[in-house]
Amino acid sequence: MSNFEERLLSALKQDMAAREPAGREAAATVTRARRGPNRRLLGLAAGVTGVAAAATVAFTLIGGAGNPAFAVEERADGSVEVRIDEFREPEELEAALAGKGVTAVVDYLPQGQTCREPRGERGEAGRPDEPMQVQVTGGGGITFRIGKGQVGAGETLVLAVSFDRARPEQAPAGMSLAVVRGAVAPCEAVPMDIPRNGRPAGPEPTGPVTHERSGGDDGPSLNTDGG
Amino acid sequence: MRLNEDPVAFEAFYRRHIDAVMRFVVRRVSDPHLAADLTADVFLAVLDSAHTYRPGRGSEVAWLYGIARNVVSAQHRRAARDARLAGRVAGRRMMDDDDLGRMEERIDAERRMREAFRAMADLPDGERAVLELVAIDQLTVTQAAEALGVRQVTARVRLHRARRALQGVVSPTVRQMEGSA
Repeated sequence: MSNFEERLLSALKQDMAAREPAGREAAATVTRARRGPNRRLLGLAAGVTGVAAAATVAFTLIGGAGNPAFAVEERADGSVEVRIDEFREPEELEAALAGKGVTAVVDYLPQGQTCREPRGERGEAGRPDEPMQVQVTGGGGITFRIGKGQVGAGETLVLAVSFDRARPEQAPAGMSLAVVRGAVAPCEAVPMDIPRNGRPAGPEPTGPVTHERSGGDDGPSLNTDGG
Repeated sequence: MRLNEDPVAFEAFYRRHIDAVMRFVVRRVSDPHLAADLTADVFLAVLDSAHTYRPGRGSEVAWLYGIARNVVSAQHRRAARDARLAGRVAGRRMMDDDDLGRMEERIDAERRMREAFRAMADLPDGERAVLELVAIDQLTVTQAAEALGVRQVTARVRLHRARRALQGVVSPTVRQMEGSA
């Protein structure tokens, strides 16, 4: 292996070392700030010049493996508050929701993709709490609240989120949250239906899908499809 | 096992794939400095995305190429928006003259592939994505489907459409590779 490859490996390992658990917690808040090319510059420059790894911690850490991906909490009024910080471990989220009496199907898709609709018969029409309000958190995650009884017997909460795997800290590019009555079709990933406005060389579609719109790197605003 | 927590595992992963990643990159860009930057970016994205890596679930290559594709297309978008940004990433700083020469050789070696890549530019995104990974990067259809997060049958249909659309456009080499993939 050549010098470039070996140097790059060293730099990457330093980047890794900066993510060690000791620093992870302290830097967790920082990681919620936007990261960009500067972070890469600093992380790698440290590898080359031997700058202490500690100096780059604030820029290189991601809210990584040590943090829970989500939180599910039951409120006094019987509603269930869901907060998803990172779009990983969908099965665990399903299990956590099941623990609160909510049957759920969760799919996380790469950017530019969504599940083919419909997934099943809509079950939520006319309920008082509709549509469910979904909010984007500062760190690119989402929160929403499931009202008591909103997902009834024989119904399933169906969540599909599309996000950029290379930049998990960014708000999702698209999302769908709905209640389905009866059987839920498995997610068949299909390209998001996005108007094409001038495509440079980049093959990756950017932007929203069926329901929601991310405003790019900055503040996205989401509106759920409440049915 | 988390790739971003275990240096030994990461190093093994890196050594398994560094060559493929560099080839992946130089099939898409012809500037050696940019290629070095993007190679670095791909592995940084691997570390950033390590939580999505599930050894038991599908192939590592598909996962990696999914990430590599995102990184390279993000670069294209950046380039379109603001060309100056490209100069601020540091992979290029790790190259000495020998590395530069070798990178240029790699770039030369993949010239045909870049031409084929350009020939696909007018295909719809979904179809091009599959054809790209199968014909250019030589993934299997199964791996390409996984890298793109689509079902196998979807990938097959898109590949079929893409091939049909490209009849007579792509060089014989590429057609042959598609056929054998």
